[in-house]
Amino acid sequence: MVDYWEFIRRTEKGEIVDEKDFDRKIGTVAAEMVNKYGIRYTPEDPVPSDDSLADRVFEASLELFTRLGIFVMDTRKVVYFSKEEAVEALSSAPSTITYGSGNEVVHVPHRTVEDSRAPVVFFSAVGTPVEEEDFVKVCMSYAQEPLADTYSGPLITKYRGMPVTSGSPVEVEAGIWNVIKLREAARFAGRPDIPIHNFMSIAERTDATIAAARPEFGVQRGDGLFTAAIAEMKVDFERLKRIAFLLHTPYVIGGLYGPLMGGYAGGPEATALILVAHFFLGLFAFRAERHNAFPININQVCNTTREMLWLVSVSGQALARNTPLVSASNAFMAAGPCTQMVMYELAAHSLASTVSGWHLNPAAVARNRYPGHASGMEARIHAEVGHVTARAGICRKDASKIVNALLDKYEKKIVNAPVGKSFRECYDTETVKPRGEYVRLWEDVRKELKNLGLDFKLVYM
Amino acid sequence: MDIFERVYMAIVSRDRDETVALAKEIVEKGIDPVQAIEKGFKRGMEKIGDLFADLEIFIPDMITAADIMNEGIDILRPVLKLESDEMGTGKILLGTIQGDVHEIGKNIVKVLLEGAGFEVIDLGRDVNVLTFIDRYQELKPDIIGISALMTTTMVNIPRVIENLKTMSLRERVKIMVGGAPVLPEWAEEIGADGYGDSAKEAVQVAKRLMLELRR
Repeated sequence: MVDYWEFIRRTEKGEIVDEKDFDRKIGTVAAEMVNKYGIRYTPEDPVPSDDSLADRVFEASLELFTRLGIFVMDTRKVVYFSKEEAVEALSSAPSTITYGSGNEVVHVPHRTVEDSRAPVVFFSAVGTPVEEEDFVKVCMSYAQEPLADTYSGPLITKYRGMPVTSGSPVEVEAGIWNVIKLREAARFAGRPDIPIHNFMSIAERTDATIAAARPEFGVQRGDGLFTAAIAEMKVDFERLKRIAFLLHTPYVIGGLYGPLMGGYAGGPEATALILVAHFFLGLFAFRAERHNAFPININQVCNTTREMLWLVSVSGQALARNTPLVSASNAFMAAGPCTQMVMYELAAHSLASTVSGWHLNPAAVARNRYPGHASGMEARIHAEVGHVTARAGICRKDASKIVNALLDKYEKKIVNAPVGKSFRECYDTETVKPRGEYVRLWEDVRKELKNLGLDFKLVYM
Repeated sequence: MDIFERVYMAIVSRDRDETVALAKEIVEKGIDPVQAIEKGFKRGMEKIGDLFADLEIFIPDMITAADIMNEGIDILRPVLKLESDEMGTGKILLGTIQGDVHEIGKNIVKVLLEGAGFEVIDLGRDVNVLTFIDRYQELKPDIIGISALMTTTMVNIPRVIENLKTMSLRERVKIMVGGAPVLPEWAEEIGADGYGDSAKEAVQVAKRLMLELRR
């Protein structure tokens, strides 16, 4: 059994490796695995129903992981693991985790392919920058949603007029403010105990995160914190320090993996493999109890292109069929709030993810880069589609047809996707409710989705 | 097909043996090496940038093409009899800003800038604000290129510009910025001279800034 401190010991062992050589090896070995295991991207079938493909993706990813190892940036060493160690880590990983305490406790089980249980939905503003004065209301727009099992917030880049620069005293102060305001927003949303699955989005540095992780600021037992791998297959001591801290706390440890399609691994097939390989990184380096995937198209900065949906689907199926892990799919949309296009994208991503065994973590919108462009409404749309998909027992084959129909509606517009409206424009900021225009637009798109086979009567049953 | 076109094709198809053979042929036959670079190597890398922009090729392919180009140019170097900054388009100091350990985007930009003939001094990732200033004073580049992948770290970029201003250095250097969370409006707001939405655009911006410097 490779425990955390055995992993840390290994970060100092072995030869120094040139990082560029490690980067090159990723593409070379991934391409070799794609060929060896016969992994083939099928653009006409974005949600494949081929179990053997899913299993081959898993086997290829496992071999990829043992061949590549994890690069540790501070020591420039690569930590390798045997196949037996990797398999053992999987077998001892939790298959159910629990978020929350008090009045809101959420049990999150491992999901299977075509699971008829509704996915757990982690509502998230995915670190979208917002104005300090909007922070609480944007948070409330997520926490108040009935389908929000947990939630997390946006971020601010200025605190009392000062830029929140990483490593500065302002970062520590803003990090504490972040935690206080998240819980305050939960209270105002009428859900004081809703689990916060990632209680820090403002601070980058570990010292600021640790400073804020105190019950008196509002972090509760059963809240959680994400730690992200560095693309691809890399970690550094800054991140590993967080884990050393988290292991002593009652907070759920989440691993966050965002390989870039078109990046060091290569195309959709190779990127699917490297994504699955990251889950082993999460087990060893982060001791992750739950896992989040946000593969991104390197040029479009979203995961709703055709090849990204295929990638999300096959990697989810590989994990669902071959591991006990609790895994969630992060939605990254090209279009922004209050647009028809974002609704099509959210629906396609939610469908592909839900039938492939993922829980849902919606949603970054407008390529996650436009300040103030995020609201609970996008997460609601993603969640509703996920619930309907699972409860109606939609299979992968049918999901693939619907996703194809949705892709027809938005695929060609991705390059010039509309930025949409800001939170202030699409929500009434006094009542913190979506404006009529947004609600009506969703009602219209719902009708279109109903015609494609999604029965929204099942949502709030 | 003339030899420049064959060099172009060899770079685009990432054919190391053919590129090396052609470079040797250029030297042996006394063909103009500057033209070979302009019409063959640089044009080939430009096409590589286009192919990457359309995701017809990926980063490993792009790095291979850059390696092959460098290998070919090394063979030409003795007959070029020029220093790198003379045959190139300018000198760029490049780095990912303080607090940000992500450098994949910056690395892509670097490959394409080098392919376009720029001399790139890569400071790496998580580059301290003051390191940008120190290295500027030491190396006197034409352009400083700064990237950020995180909204939480991009706020450090204006600090580089502000420090350059306080040291009366700002007017001597062009600054270009980029990265996933960086928007053109923000680049303008913080007083950057250029913004690249993609690696390909970054090269165009760098060329434009060099033209402005030479006016």
